[in-house]
Amino acid sequence: MDVNSFMEGLSIAIEPINIVWIIIGGFLGTIVGMLPGLGPATAVAVLIPMTFGMNPVSAIILMAAIYYGAMYGGSRSSILLNTPGDGSAIAATFDGYPMAREGMAGQALAISAVASFIGGLIAVIGFIFLAEPLAAFALEFGPAEYFLLMLLTLSAIVSLSIGKMVKGFLAMSIGLALSTVGIDTQTGIYRFTFGSSHLSEGIDFLIVIIGVYAIGEVLYNLLSIDEQRKEKKKVGKVWFSKEQWRRSKWPILRSGPLGFIIGVLPGAGGSIASMISYTTERQLSKRSSEFGKGAVEGLAAPESANNSASVGAMIPLLTMGIPGSGTTAVMLGALIMLGLRPGPLLFEQQPETAWALINSMFIGNIALVIINILLVGALVKVLDTPPKVLYPMIVVLAFIGTYTLSYATFDFYFLLLFGVIGLFMKVLDFPIAPLVLALIVGSDMEQNFRMALTSSNGSFGIFFSSGVSIALIVLTLLSLLYPLVVHWMKRKSQNKHEDQMYKSS
Amino acid sequence: MMKGIKLGVPIFLLLFSCLFLIGSLQLPKANLGNPNAPLYFPAGLSILMLLLSIVYLFQEIKHVAEENMEVRQLFSGRTPKLIVFTIILGGIYALVFDRIGFLLSTIGFLGGLLFLINGWKKWLINCVVAVSFSFLAWYAFSQLLGVSLP
Repeated sequence: MDVNSFMEGLSIAIEPINIVWIIIGGFLGTIVGMLPGLGPATAVAVLIPMTFGMNPVSAIILMAAIYYGAMYGGSRSSILLNTPGDGSAIAATFDGYPMAREGMAGQALAISAVASFIGGLIAVIGFIFLAEPLAAFALEFGPAEYFLLMLLTLSAIVSLSIGKMVKGFLAMSIGLALSTVGIDTQTGIYRFTFGSSHLSEGIDFLIVIIGVYAIGEVLYNLLSIDEQRKEKKKVGKVWFSKEQWRRSKWPILRSGPLGFIIGVLPGAGGSIASMISYTTERQLSKRSSEFGKGAVEGLAAPESANNSASVGAMIPLLTMGIPGSGTTAVMLGALIMLGLRPGPLLFEQQPETAWALINSMFIGNIALVIINILLVGALVKVLDTPPKVLYPMIVVLAFIGTYTLSYATFDFYFLLLFGVIGLFMKVLDFPIAPLVLALIVGSDMEQNFRMALTSSNGSFGIFFSSGVSIALIVLTLLSLLYPLVVHWMKRKSQNKHEDQMYKSS
Repeated sequence: MMKGIKLGVPIFLLLFSCLFLIGSLQLPKANLGNPNAPLYFPAGLSILMLLLSIVYLFQEIKHVAEENMEVRQLFSGRTPKLIVFTIILGGIYALVFDRIGFLLSTIGFLGGLLFLINGWKKWLINCVVAVSFSFLAWYAFSQLLGVSLP
C-alpha cells in the first residue's frame, strides 16, 4: 500500500465539504433505498444529477455514500414492512420482520445497522489491501484480456439469473446492440443512426439507466399501487441487549469477509452474499430452529454480508473499470460522464481520487450507522409517506435528471421509451442488470475485440495466447455451466425425494 | 391478451433481430483497415439474438397456457389507464418544458401525475406537493447545483 497516497486520500476525504456530501448522500440513499421496490441502482440513478457541477472526487464520494445509504435503507423497509428495498435486503425480512412483529423493531434496526457497519469496515480493510495489487495486475492486460474479462462479467451476471438464462442473454444482447448505435470510433462509420444527428454520439446510457430503473420501477409499482397499504410500526428503543450482541458478534465477523469475497466476484453481489451467509449461519447455529422466527443471528449475518459485498463490488469497478453489478454499472456510467475513467490507471494517474474514495468508505460507514440509529424515527416517517405521492416525485426527478444530461427535451422521449421497456422487462421477468451492463461495456468490448484481432493480423489465437486469457475463458465456461449444474442437482434431489416418497407409500 | 403478450414479445424480438442483421449487413465499408470491421460485431450479435429469440419463442409456446399474474395485472383495474396517462403526461411535459419554462411545466406535470395516481379527493395534498416540490427542485438544481433550467 502506498502510504503517501493513502494519507493524501484521507486528507481529501475528511475535507468538510466531502464529509457533508457523505452525510447528505448517506441520508438520501437511505431514504430512497427504504422505499419499497426501489434499490441502490435506482437510488444512484435518480440522484445522479446531484453530482453535476461537482468535482469528480466529491462526486464519486457522494455516489458511494448514496450506494451504501441505499443498502442500509433497503433493510429498514425489510424489517419494518417485510418489503425489501431490493434483492440484497430480502434475507433481512426472514428474521428482521418477525423480530419487529414481536415488538423488537428497535433492536432489529440497531443490530442491522451495527452489523452493516462492521461488515462495511471489514470490507474496506480488505479493499485497502486488495485494490492496488489487483490494479497493478490489471495493468498487464491487453485488449484480448480486457475483451475476455468483459465477456466473463457479462456471462457471470447472466448466469446468476438461474431459470431465465435465455432472457438474461437476450437482455445482454439488446444492451450490446444499443451500444453499437453511433459513430464507430475506429473507422468513423455511422452505424444505426438513421440520419439523426442526435444518435451520432450513441444512446446515452444514463438515459437508459434512469429510464429502466427509475421510470420502469415506478410504472411497475403502479401495477399494485392500490394494494400498497401503510403499516405503522412502533420502533421503541433503538439498541440491543448484551445477549443479542453475544449471539450476533461471531455471525457478523464471519459474514463480513464472506460477503466481501462474494462482492468482488463479477456478477455476484449483495443478494447472493446475504443468502449464502444466512444459510451458512443457520447451518452453524445451535438455534437453527429459531431461524425465520426472529433469530437475531439470522438478521445480523446477512446484514453484515450484504454491506460488505457492496464495498467488494467496488473493487472490479475501480481497479479494472469493470462493473460487477447493476448498481456499480450505474456508477460507472455516472463517473464516465464526470470525466473520471475507473480502471488500473486510476491508481497510477489519480491515486488521490482512488484513496479518497476508499477513506470516504470508512467515514461513510460511521456516518451511516449514526444516521440509522439516531435518526431512525425521522427515517421511519418516510415510510409513512404514501407511495401514491412518492412515485410521482420520483418520476419528476428522473425527468429533471435526464434534462441535466444534455439540456435536450428530445431525451424525454427516450426516457419514456426505456421506462416502458423496463416495465415490460420486469413484468416478463427479464433481468435488467445484463442490459445495463452490456450497454455500458459494449463499446469497449467491441473495440478491444477488434484491437486484439488487428494486433494479431486477424488470428483468433490471440485470445488463447496468455495464461490470463485461458483462465478467463475457463472461468467464463464455468460460469455458463454453473446454472446447468444447479439445475441438474435440483432435479437429482427432486427425483431422490420422489423415490423416497414412492418407497414410503 | 395473455397469449398475445407471451408470444408477441419473442416474435417482436425475432423481427428486431432480423432487421438488426439486415441493417448490419448494409453498413458502409470502412476506408481504413479491414473494410468489414464495423459490421462483424453487430452482425455476430444479431445472429446470436436471432438464435436466442427462437429459443425464447419455443419456451413461451411450451408454457403459453401458464398464468403470469403480473401480465394480468397490467391489463386489469385502473393500471392500464395509469400507465398510459403517465406516458402521455410525460410526452406533454417534453413538448411544453422549453416553451413555458421549468416551474410551470413541472407544477403541471407533477400535479397531473398526483391527480392521476393519488386521486381527485386529495386535491389539497396534490396541489401543495406539486407546487412545493417543484419550487424545491427548482431551487436545488438551479440555485444550489447551478443547473441551467428554462
